[in-house]
Amino acid sequence: MGLILREKAEYLGTFRWLEVFLMETLAQWVPTTPEMEVKVLMGRHIWDAAQHADALGKRTFELRAPLHYTLPPLAPYLDLMKELAAVEDTPGRIQAIYDVLLPAFVARYQEYLNGSDSLLDEPSYRVIHEILNAYARMRQENEALREELKETLVFDAGRVDEWRRKEAAIGEIVPRGSGATLAVGAHA
Amino acid sequence: MSITARRKTVQGIQLCADPAREACFHIAQHDSEMAVFEDNMSEAARRERLHRHMNNEMGALEIAAQCLADFPDAPWDLRMQLARQASDESRHVAALYRRLRQLGGRKGEFPIGNFEWAVTNMCDTLAARLAIQNRTFEAGQMDLLGALRKIWRSLGDETTAEVLEHILADEINHVRFANRWIRTMVQEDRRLLLKVASAIRFLAETNATLLAGAGATTTDAAKKHADLGINVEDRRHADFSDDEINEILKQAGMSAFVSAEGPA
Repeated sequence: MGLILREKAEYLGTFRWLEVFLMETLAQWVPTTPEMEVKVLMGRHIWDAAQHADALGKRTFELRAPLHYTLPPLAPYLDLMKELAAVEDTPGRIQAIYDVLLPAFVARYQEYLNGSDSLLDEPSYRVIHEILNAYARMRQENEALREELKETLVFDAGRVDEWRRKEAAIGEIVPRGSGATLAVGAHA
Repeated sequence: MSITARRKTVQGIQLCADPAREACFHIAQHDSEMAVFEDNMSEAARRERLHRHMNNEMGALEIAAQCLADFPDAPWDLRMQLARQASDESRHVAALYRRLRQLGGRKGEFPIGNFEWAVTNMCDTLAARLAIQNRTFEAGQMDLLGALRKIWRSLGDETTAEVLEHILADEINHVRFANRWIRTMVQEDRRLLLKVASAIRFLAETNATLLAGAGATTTDAAKKHADLGINVEDRRHADFSDDEINEILKQAGMSAFVSAEGPA
């Protein structure tokens, strides 16, 4: 059986937390990252993440949750997010966002689409498809930046493998059944 | 430690320490360290203008981003505006850098200053930061851009003039949302008025001290501003009231333009 209505709101609320986290992490990194071109890339993607969070937050309201309902992920994922947000060097920051987080979030969104219903939940599908399209563009822009700065930035592939392994080892990230403020017993 | 908690001292004034910059940039702490040109529209002077402006836009990006990082509980609609501003300022940096390179310039070619970042981030409320950065610095930039686009056009540089036109259009939005949100926030919490007033006073005092160190006065600065003109039309677009515009005209020594019906 697929996700029930309340669970859908919980998933989308958790995705919203991830997008706000992305926005805030990029925002925090802009003044502390020296390279101008990297600041520019991050600055532009702050707005992408904000729009994703906004669209998800409006959709949670349509699913009978509060407007901009936001749920932090379960503790293991939260800890991983904190670990990545603490990265201080520019190559590491670029890898954390574009090689680890965005591909990981794509997989999490895809998992949601697989468990939902494209007819009953079509508005969520549209929101998520927009986000996935934006991610593809953001990763392309990141590739162009790496090409431009290839003489100055040195990337450590081993670190990415380690972060990816940690991320993949975490199964469930959504705190299901936590929606005390949601309509009780609402089913899709 | 948050970057805004770090301090530097310039001419005896405690300011927020500089944001991260690449080693190719020389960060000036005093106006006297900035490049000066006898012909202020020579080829080198033009590149210096673009270079200085590029760094100012980088500072505006950093300030908007830092507001998002420092005020997670701000209303979501305001955070959306700040996120959009961060994106706009990023595009401005990229556009000015592109134009700088087209004119033969490079990153780090001239000294840069981070005055706006250093003053704005001394404020501990979002309303005060918006009052300093968006409502004061960016509104001042609207006046500057209003004049500069014409100067570049008069030199036959339509490309740069058009870059400035686009930047100006974006800045109007940044000033407008700040004006609206400051009003809303102050209506909800009158104590914020004191914070905003104290931030404006801090800016004025800092400005006066640093100008004095460079052998100038606030009157000289106001005259310079008046020479460029006040961009009344765009200040209206940015939601300044007629009374506020009249006050700005008076401060710039342009009382002749103030009328009972509103600014000309």
